[in-house]
Amino acid sequence: MADQIVLDHVTKRFTTKTLGNITAVDDFNLRVHEGECFSFLGPSGCGKSTTLRMIAGFEDLTEGEIELCGKLVSSSKKNLYVQPEDRGLGMVFQAFAVWPHMNVFENVAFPLRIQKINKTDITKRVNEALHHTSLTGLEKAFPSDLSGGQQQRIALARAIVTNPKVMLLDEPLSNLDPKLRETMRFEIKALQRKFNFTIIFVTHDQSEAMAISDRMMVCDMGKIMQIDTPENLYNKPCNRFVHNFLGESTFINVVIRDGKAYPKGHTEQALDLPVPPDAAAEMVVATRPNEIALTGPGEGGYASHIEKRIFLTDRTEYLVPVGEQLLKVQTPHRVTFAQGEACSVHLVEPMWYPADDEAAEKERARRQLV
Amino acid sequence: MKRMDGVSPDLAAVDGRRRFNMDKMMTAVCFILLLIIVVIPIVMIVYNAFFYEGKFEISLFVEQLTEPNNLGAMWNTLKIAVFTTILGTVMGVFYAWLLGRSDIPAKGLMRALFNIPYMFPPFLGAMAWDMMFNGRSGYINKWLRDLLGLSVMPININSVWGIVFVEVSYYFPFVFMQVVSALERMDPTLEESARIAGAKQRQVIWKITLPLVKPAISAGALLILTTSLAHFGVPAILGYAKRIYTLPTRIYEVIYNSGGSFDGIRQGAAISVMLVVVVAAALILQNRILSAGSYDIIKGKSMRPTLIKLRGAKIPLFILAIFTLIMIVIVPLVMIVLISFLKAYGLPLEFKNFTFAQYEKVFSANGTIASIRNSLFVSITAGIICMFLGTLVAYVVQKIRPKGKGALEVISMLPYAIPGTVLSIGVILAWSGRILGINLYNTIWIILVAYLARYLSFSMKTSSAALLQVHSSLEEAARVCGASHTESLADVTLPLIRPAMVSGFFLIFLPAMREVTTSILLYGPYTRTLGVQIYSLRDAGMIPQAAALATVAIGIIIILNTIVTKLTKDRKGV
Amino acid sequence: MANVRFEDITFRYGTNTVLEHFSLDVESGKIVCLVGPSGCGKTTLVRALLGLIKPETGSITVGDRCLFDAKKRINVAAEKRNIGIVFQDYAVWPHMTVLENVCYPLKKQRVPKDEIQKRAMRALEQVHMTEYARHLPNQLSGGQQQRVAIARAIVVDSDVLVMDEPITNLDAKLREEMLLEIRMIQKRLGATILYITHDQQSALQLCDKMAIMQQDGTLCQYGSDEEIILRPANRFTFEFIGVSNFIPVLNSAAGPALDCGEQIPYSGDVPAEALAGGWEIGVRPNDIVFDAGSPMRARVDSRVFLGSEYNYFLSLGKKQIRMQQSMLDARTQGIADEGSEVGIRFLNVRFYPAKKGGSAA
Repeated sequence: MADQIVLDHVTKRFTTKTLGNITAVDDFNLRVHEGECFSFLGPSGCGKSTTLRMIAGFEDLTEGEIELCGKLVSSSKKNLYVQPEDRGLGMVFQAFAVWPHMNVFENVAFPLRIQKINKTDITKRVNEALHHTSLTGLEKAFPSDLSGGQQQRIALARAIVTNPKVMLLDEPLSNLDPKLRETMRFEIKALQRKFNFTIIFVTHDQSEAMAISDRMMVCDMGKIMQIDTPENLYNKPCNRFVHNFLGESTFINVVIRDGKAYPKGHTEQALDLPVPPDAAAEMVVATRPNEIALTGPGEGGYASHIEKRIFLTDRTEYLVPVGEQLLKVQTPHRVTFAQGEACSVHLVEPMWYPADDEAAEKERARRQLV
Repeated sequence: MKRMDGVSPDLAAVDGRRRFNMDKMMTAVCFILLLIIVVIPIVMIVYNAFFYEGKFEISLFVEQLTEPNNLGAMWNTLKIAVFTTILGTVMGVFYAWLLGRSDIPAKGLMRALFNIPYMFPPFLGAMAWDMMFNGRSGYINKWLRDLLGLSVMPININSVWGIVFVEVSYYFPFVFMQVVSALERMDPTLEESARIAGAKQRQVIWKITLPLVKPAISAGALLILTTSLAHFGVPAILGYAKRIYTLPTRIYEVIYNSGGSFDGIRQGAAISVMLVVVVAAALILQNRILSAGSYDIIKGKSMRPTLIKLRGAKIPLFILAIFTLIMIVIVPLVMIVLISFLKAYGLPLEFKNFTFAQYEKVFSANGTIASIRNSLFVSITAGIICMFLGTLVAYVVQKIRPKGKGALEVISMLPYAIPGTVLSIGVILAWSGRILGINLYNTIWIILVAYLARYLSFSMKTSSAALLQVHSSLEEAARVCGASHTESLADVTLPLIRPAMVSGFFLIFLPAMREVTTSILLYGPYTRTLGVQIYSLRDAGMIPQAAALATVAIGIIIILNTIVTKLTKDRKGV
Repeated sequence: MANVRFEDITFRYGTNTVLEHFSLDVESGKIVCLVGPSGCGKTTLVRALLGLIKPETGSITVGDRCLFDAKKRINVAAEKRNIGIVFQDYAVWPHMTVLENVCYPLKKQRVPKDEIQKRAMRALEQVHMTEYARHLPNQLSGGQQQRVAIARAIVVDSDVLVMDEPITNLDAKLREEMLLEIRMIQKRLGATILYITHDQQSALQLCDKMAIMQQDGTLCQYGSDEEIILRPANRFTFEFIGVSNFIPVLNSAAGPALDCGEQIPYSGDVPAEALAGGWEIGVRPNDIVFDAGSPMRARVDSRVFLGSEYNYFLSLGKKQIRMQQSMLDARTQGIADEGSEVGIRFLNVRFYPAKKGGSAA
């Protein structure tokens, strides 16, 4: 599989009035394969939007090189910078960016008119694009008469009408209501399968990223944390940040004594867990509400009781005290414990991380202002 | 369910049923005051134009309509307005694009220069240009003629084109403000998506940017149009002496020549109707064009739009822009100051001809101090009354919502559409003894009443906008916390709209201080305003004195504006 | 701490009947969540409780105080009802500091000055906002403004606290925190809380009891979270809370079957009335499991990984249904690939008459 998009040691630094010098993107290296749906995921200020804009050509990089479809489009060494209009991309924006003064047909035809394609071909290709995005019949309508979902489809049609090899999607679903978001996700995937373009999908919504991606990159504070498939990122996050960012997480602060892990501050009972050989004196055990198993008392695990039971629509939630924390455990409805009942808590293959890092939290908060 | 309007209509319904109260009284007061201030003068104009001694009589109107001087005036009015609009729009768009989209330097300086035309009444500028380029005696005219060895003066500012030139230099900011604001608030992804689609910078401007700011351009252009149609000062200074009339100056002439007799005023009323029809047509046009296409192009996230690099053209454009601005903004003001120091008008501008004598003369004359006092009195009083009345009307319309609130809104906004000259005639006809024997003519009070009518809509607009921001839940929260209807008004609503009310005051006080259009028809021997005094001095040929008083006026305006800017910067807004 | 009783409330906005003969009993000292689709009248009910609108019929009592009675012509003014409210848009007064905001209700009640300060600071303590006492609202984040609104509502020790969508405008993580805080505040004060929301998840996590309102302004079911989830009273409750699949049921020659474009035999128990025609079977996506030995076969159209579960779209006959597989089951039973054929089994099914105009699934 060819590499469709290559980022080679890409760095972006700039100065703002409020925050001084910022390294928005710090030494990004990644390769996106042809036909892949690749997501950039992270909190605001992590560098995902800046990276997308550098790929699109709206920002120039400070260092490094970017290659699209085998051609160099940005290079600090060679002082090369190809303008956005010459990069042959398709792009969909968060606020749709469909032109209100043109009707649906004209919006979608615009890129073809710029390329000076003849009238008959334009009509054919526009109608095809409208067909693929379920907009047939709305050619003469204006965007202000249409719903958010329809406007987003116009943006999609306009992006695919030039048959680009690479599509950039910048938080395209954030402005849509939840039900519509799922529908559009399927439509985008279907289009990708049909036309086989490569997608870069930027979002801050982790469930959306996991649902749509073949692979994704989690970034924070300008650095790439981890690149992998959604399942691997979810099941084997490389650090506490990635673990916390994807899905629900529960972190238990533990102290290691005599090869056993005890909840910090509550050394009466050890967690029934194999401790990794290189563990420090203090660690963080990371797990998820649905990766904690509850059994009756006396079956190993950590002895506790059900503090509170809440019924949710598709699962039951139990709050179980472990040490000084109240752990959230989620099970299917058929696992039943009564409130107050004694139980045993089993953590299923949790991750182990070094103890808390406060400085990182502060820097993260500072960047949120950018 | 979020209500975007002012206070909850629910609360009003519950309160309204409760007691005979404040709400009903406020509504009644509004209706009565608006009737007196606005409706009666307007009715009197129409009545006197078409009725004589109780009977319908169209002959006067027809006579005025076909009178060649009047027709000539109407033609001039239209010509000037149209050309001013076209040229002002082109200039406004050019500067808006320069400041809003290019990487031209010194944007802050240029913006500051743009604010200056707003501060000064155009007639002062007209005076200065007249001093420089008068067809017979203009200073720079003379200098150019001698320099180029011509037999006649090269430029004649006392012409239709001269009037157009001066009006353009004062009105182009209307378009500039609208368009630069639209450009700055426009969602940058609208242009970015065009570039991704393959369009070069040039194509983006023509196909995307300009069409999207068309509504802003139209709004600004039509503002120029309606303002120019109704304008008195510049045609009065530059055209009147050469018998180049526009409808406002023609009305003035007719009344002036008749010595203020009733017949003259009736004639003026008839011509006024002609003017109102022209302005109304322009406003209808404005409504039609504006409602046709206003696009929602405002961005949510704060991202800077990409600036277009001017490269080679940067320095030449910069020089052109600064030069033009200095020419049309700074030079006239400097001219006035220089002339004010001359021993006599016509003497060369050399240091040996300078003196402070003109200032002494101006200040020793009773008329001057009185005129400043008069202007202060009427402007401050009008500002205060309008501030309260405008807020009252806005409150009644938005919160109390009585039957007939539509009428209230229309009546309070009506004077905005009526030229100042016309409003003055209406006020004369209403309050010169024909109604209940109330005769305010030649007193300061008639000027005050005219100002009230003229400026009410200003404070109503600002207070209305502020009230809209006071969400119903803020008042409801106060009520649920135990505040009565009155208490919630005093504790929550009033403090939140107070900044806007104060804004409204200054929005009226500042223009009223320097205006001449309204008071030129209403002043009596002891009730001149500052603007009228300057105009009269000039009319009487005492040009250096007029320049001196004008300089003083400029000084007062600058001081007042600085105070206001400082005050509005410090306050903690909503 | 007092109970709230709504009896027979009817209210119309113009020709639109928003509430019709609505009755609800909120027990003293409990959190009751009022849930329903937008426009169902829950905000209207709250406004009637606060005295901002006047219903046409019925009565509203808090504890032993009658606030409104249509027949007896009682309608206590809004400012005299002493009910704490947290609005959806916070309604924190922008021109007053945090402390002034919280002191305001006490001022209106003419509480002595020194006591005002004490009680206001105590309320701010409860919401962890004491260090922001001198701040202005525009210097605070959304979550902090919400806490100020809560402090202002609890400072008067009123009998009833009403919260109208208080956390909808906050991001996911902050929402979780605020839910916990509200729970803790309620425990400490023992207040009766009426909590309005359309977010089922938060409602289920917070409530002691939940009242579900239908679009036409009537009460659908009123019970604990367990009752609502496991024993929904009717179709509306079942459909409204959570996601559901609906398939028409018919009685074929070979026994009960599902109408999926083609007839799929159904081997589970079907009540007699459901076979009469015009009924549907309802099953939640998380109540469908893979069962290799089941005679009911479906094709996997798509599989989406969502972290804590897998979401499938399956084609049963010609009908597409949703299925949710928990991570637990995925680990033990394995996941199914797109395009493969699988056997499935339904658990916890319900039978309801079909809706006129088709079902919403």
